[in-house]
Amino acid sequence: MNEGEEKFGSIYFAVLGAVALAFGVAELIASAGEGFTWGILDSSGASDPLFLPWKAIILISVGFFYLSSVKDFGEVHQLAKAVMASIMIWIVAGMAIWSRIAGSIPGEETWFNSLEGFLASYAPPYCPEMFLLPFSLVIVYYVLKEGETGK
Amino acid sequence: MRLRAQVKKEVVKVPLSVDERWDLIENISKQTVEFGAYKHTLKDAIAELTVKPLTGIPVAIAVIYGFWSFFCDFAGTLFTDGFMVKIFDEHWLPWLQSVFPGGLRNSFYALMVDAGHLEEGILVASDNCFEAFGVLTSGLFIVFGVVLWAILAFYLIFAILEDIGYLPRLAVLVDTVLHKIGLHGYAIVPTFLSLGCNVPGVTATRPLETRKQRFMMMTLLAIFVPCGAQIGIMQDLVPELMGWIFLTLAIGYLGFGFILNKIVPGKSPELIMDVPPYQMPTLRNIGRKLWIRTSGFLLVAVPFVLLGCLIVGLMYLTGAMDWLAAVFGPLLMVWFGVPSETVAPLIAGFLRKDLAVGVLGGLMAQGIMTTFQVFTSVILLCIYFPCLATFALMIKEENWKELLGSLASLVAMVFVYGGLIHLVGIILGVA
Repeated sequence: MNEGEEKFGSIYFAVLGAVALAFGVAELIASAGEGFTWGILDSSGASDPLFLPWKAIILISVGFFYLSSVKDFGEVHQLAKAVMASIMIWIVAGMAIWSRIAGSIPGEETWFNSLEGFLASYAPPYCPEMFLLPFSLVIVYYVLKEGETGK
Repeated sequence: MRLRAQVKKEVVKVPLSVDERWDLIENISKQTVEFGAYKHTLKDAIAELTVKPLTGIPVAIAVIYGFWSFFCDFAGTLFTDGFMVKIFDEHWLPWLQSVFPGGLRNSFYALMVDAGHLEEGILVASDNCFEAFGVLTSGLFIVFGVVLWAILAFYLIFAILEDIGYLPRLAVLVDTVLHKIGLHGYAIVPTFLSLGCNVPGVTATRPLETRKQRFMMMTLLAIFVPCGAQIGIMQDLVPELMGWIFLTLAIGYLGFGFILNKIVPGKSPELIMDVPPYQMPTLRNIGRKLWIRTSGFLLVAVPFVLLGCLIVGLMYLTGAMDWLAAVFGPLLMVWFGVPSETVAPLIAGFLRKDLAVGVLGGLMAQGIMTTFQVFTSVILLCIYFPCLATFALMIKEENWKELLGSLASLVAMVFVYGGLIHLVGIILGVA
């Protein structure tokens, strides 16, 4: 990993960490009350209120992991923190997507959902971790880079 | 080849002196081992993060979150609620009700298909498999409609975590906590396995070194760890109470473990565990594990659930259940704060805990229990006795003295913990 890539990684994951931390705090506050829906962002926990505080704790941890990784980002132990944070996002976001898939297949009265009902299951609003998911994938580039230089 | 030739040459000169042996070892190691500073790889660094408490605990929370979330959506939303309830309640039950000989007042029909229930003094047919309580309706629904999917989901994730290499790290992470109750981190493996089925969980206590550790582990598993089948049914019946149920069981596991550690004689030595590097799981391995464990589970569960349905049905028909409810009712009501009807699920629980929760579901549907009574009953069902299959294995694994000790601990625990829950309910004004 060259100096430019390292610097970009530091800034990028610092911003992502701050956003994840903010989402986590917002979810924690939301879990104490009735949650919130803001445009296409949903933190109401309507489908799984039991999970909301746990998701909040995970997102807060993700934020701290990313933020603590930015100093000397190219060093393998620092990079590992960012990788771990990304994996944690993949777990929670993956489960949010899986939850939609599982809910979209069976119909209410019929065996299988109609096409409209199926597609409607994937419509917004989305939970915070689903917004973080595509941005967390940048870590794959750094893992591949580390694999090249590590050899 | 050169090394082999050298070893051959040296060994031919037997007997070698101690110095000559060391020289030979040094020569071999010089030619085979590469010396230098070991550079940590990304895999090593990630492995370290998952065992250090500060970083490992959030990761463990994320993993358990993923585990539980997948379990609920796979078993609950997709299969049981999505398809199985429709198959059993809308097709299988009405079909059996229409073709099975006899009728609502026929004893054989009641045992096999539908015992019915009273509505304003009139016996009416059930409209769902939880209430019907026949061998071919409730029995099959519990096994194939609910439990099978819960077990599949559980063992799938368990196999993935096992093959990735995360479980030994979780063992290292919880080692400090479990040492406080006389166990060590490895105890997390039988505990996790028991969350699928108590039978392999009890078997997995074998690597524990002392009788004390095995006795403690088996007792804790039998009392405080609900199996996947039971969890699946509980999730279906009382999803809103699951957090409280697990919290209560976890407090009991640690608290009772602490007490057992103080009163049971014996040592709790350290156990050195191999922590393998993280690796990619293979589809073949996962598939084989899933097949072996799920088929093994079904072989144990199906006969017991069907037999349990038959026995509970017979006890209702002969009036034995009413007699038991009358005898144990006062104790259940006064000490535990649950209605006398709870005796039926407690009887069923001797055979299968999932079946027992299923029987409880039937009582809930009749509206004779408050939410707190449901909560207390579910906890009582978890802790009052291991299912028959687990009990049979405990007889095999423990000597008679230990088995009696386990049973005595169990009885004491049920009364103390069950009474304590009732007391907390009274203090909070919910009992």
